[in-house]
Amino acid sequence: MRPREETISVGGIGVHTWVGGQGDPLLVLHGAGGYRGWTRWLDQVSERFTVWAPSHPGFGRSGDADWMEGVDDLARFYLWFIEVAGLGRPHVLGHSLGGWTAAEMATMSTGAIDRLVLVAPVGLKPETGEILDVFYYSPAQLMTMTVHDAKTVPEWQEIYGRPPSPEEIEIATRNREMAARLTWKPYMHNPRLPHFLPRVTNPTLIVWGREDRVVPIGCGEQYRRGLPNSKLTVLERCGHLPPIEQPDVFARLVLDFLGGDPRR
Amino acid sequence: MKLYYFSEMPHHEFPDEEGDKYPSLRLEFPNRFFDREKAAANYQRYLTEYEFADQAGFAGLMINEHHSTPSCVNVGVNMTAAILARTTRRAKILLLGNILPIEDNPVRMAEQLAMADLISGGRVLSGFVRGVGVETWWSNSNPIHNRERFEECHDLILKCWTAPGPFRWEGRHYHFRHVNPWCLPLQKPHPPIWIPGTASPETALWAGRRGYTYVPFLVPFEIARELFDFYRQGAAEVGRTVTPDNLGFLICAVTAETKAKAVEAGRHFVWRMGPTLRAPVDWFAPVGMRSRAGSQFALRARPRSLASMSYEELLAEHFIVAGTPDEVIDRFARVQRELGVGHLLLEAQESRMDHPTTMRSIELMGAKVMPAVASL
Repeated sequence: MRPREETISVGGIGVHTWVGGQGDPLLVLHGAGGYRGWTRWLDQVSERFTVWAPSHPGFGRSGDADWMEGVDDLARFYLWFIEVAGLGRPHVLGHSLGGWTAAEMATMSTGAIDRLVLVAPVGLKPETGEILDVFYYSPAQLMTMTVHDAKTVPEWQEIYGRPPSPEEIEIATRNREMAARLTWKPYMHNPRLPHFLPRVTNPTLIVWGREDRVVPIGCGEQYRRGLPNSKLTVLERCGHLPPIEQPDVFARLVLDFLGGDPRR
Repeated sequence: MKLYYFSEMPHHEFPDEEGDKYPSLRLEFPNRFFDREKAAANYQRYLTEYEFADQAGFAGLMINEHHSTPSCVNVGVNMTAAILARTTRRAKILLLGNILPIEDNPVRMAEQLAMADLISGGRVLSGFVRGVGVETWWSNSNPIHNRERFEECHDLILKCWTAPGPFRWEGRHYHFRHVNPWCLPLQKPHPPIWIPGTASPETALWAGRRGYTYVPFLVPFEIARELFDFYRQGAAEVGRTVTPDNLGFLICAVTAETKAKAVEAGRHFVWRMGPTLRAPVDWFAPVGMRSRAGSQFALRARPRSLASMSYEELLAEHFIVAGTPDEVIDRFARVQRELGVGHLLLEAQESRMDHPTTMRSIELMGAKVMPAVASL
């Protein structure tokens, strides 16, 4: 199903948003790489949910937010977005940077969201290992480091198969700059977040790839311990991009967890 | 045209094949290759050379600062300034410079520079730089904020020097509730400010508006001229006239009694053009550190990297000057004709160039070259 495009103005920032599907609202927050298009898993999940997939301020074709300093700003912004867009009490699914944002949102306002899906979220300081310094490596290097095995990614050709256009290069640069603005120090985590996680009693699904080379899988266990009503599901032979690497399995996990009214 | 003596205080005290094993000599070349005994001796040697340059008549002693690299182990430009303030007599002490965006306490910076100026009898030329990306990684300073912090840090330092204390500073990146430095520079209203340039049109404009001395580093003549045009544009905006005293240029230079000796010594400069600049692009230019305009200018400014040029090409393009005093005078005169600068900064020691060679070059520059170029 082809989604529609909307620009939703929140606090003076135009948020470019893809909206598609039908059913209860599901807010999807992308990672530091930005929105990767209406990929297969979104198509499947939108059969039962109305997916709202905004590009964060400073990312993609959304407006600038040079005043933002960290992910807590982004989290407050998206709580505002939920109100402006009239999403009621949506489920929130966030990947990596978006997962951290979703977790922060939940700690700020547990009642504003329904169920949480955190996919390989950054945000916690790993008890063992380190979060990969993604700004230290070139985008080309990162492309292979983020997935377990590019050959097994079904949509690799569609997503990465052709050279990017000048507009796409500009967007990729912008995404990287805004990600740096939000996450530089402390790098990709909030030392105070673990103290607030116990507040979040929302049912939460945490998904991790066993072969994640960006965020240590131990962080998944840390989130599971911190969030009182959470479970951790680990996907084998999967890296940091479960929605792209195993779209069918991932979409099934999400649908099973969120429920929703089957269309047929 | 005035000449300035400069050494990066290199620590080239390891087998090159060890350095070659790493993606760069910066950031990741393990510091187990740092030789403490040799470093202790080298600091003494380098300071002696600076002191001799003062005696030989150099107009200024340029010092700089880098981190996490054997190419430059002068890790505290203000420390070196303090030493030279006490052990030299005549030359200006050109700090080029303090890396403002990575500084967390501009008030202390203002105090330290003031103290060096006082001890030196008002000889400090205070250069401010944005730094290369490596220092951003070293300090874990967000490159997105590099220019904002550079400008705000500069503004606060200037306010420390010129505004009566106490005052309060609540900026975007710096916050101080009680600013009242009890150490102010001897020079009034403050030491002259110098700004280097490599590829940023914004910096040239910014320096031009303020009338700061602007010094492109190791760029082709045509790029330096373009940067000077940006500088003049900035100066024109505020109705300021640009004179040679506002403009400088940095090259590598060594002299000796014979051409053969000088050319042999000059080969040491190739190390700083190649191996010490080798690194993944994101290490020198991390995300957001350069504006889009700056990035595009940088690509044009360096159609060929210095590392890809042979020694002969580096000599031909005036990145390196190596010759007898007469030959060096000719070359410097050419630089002056091409660029119209009033200050020529000489990176005059590098890599494994030995102490006697360095001292002899300093001596000849003072005795033969300086009198000839003084009138240019």
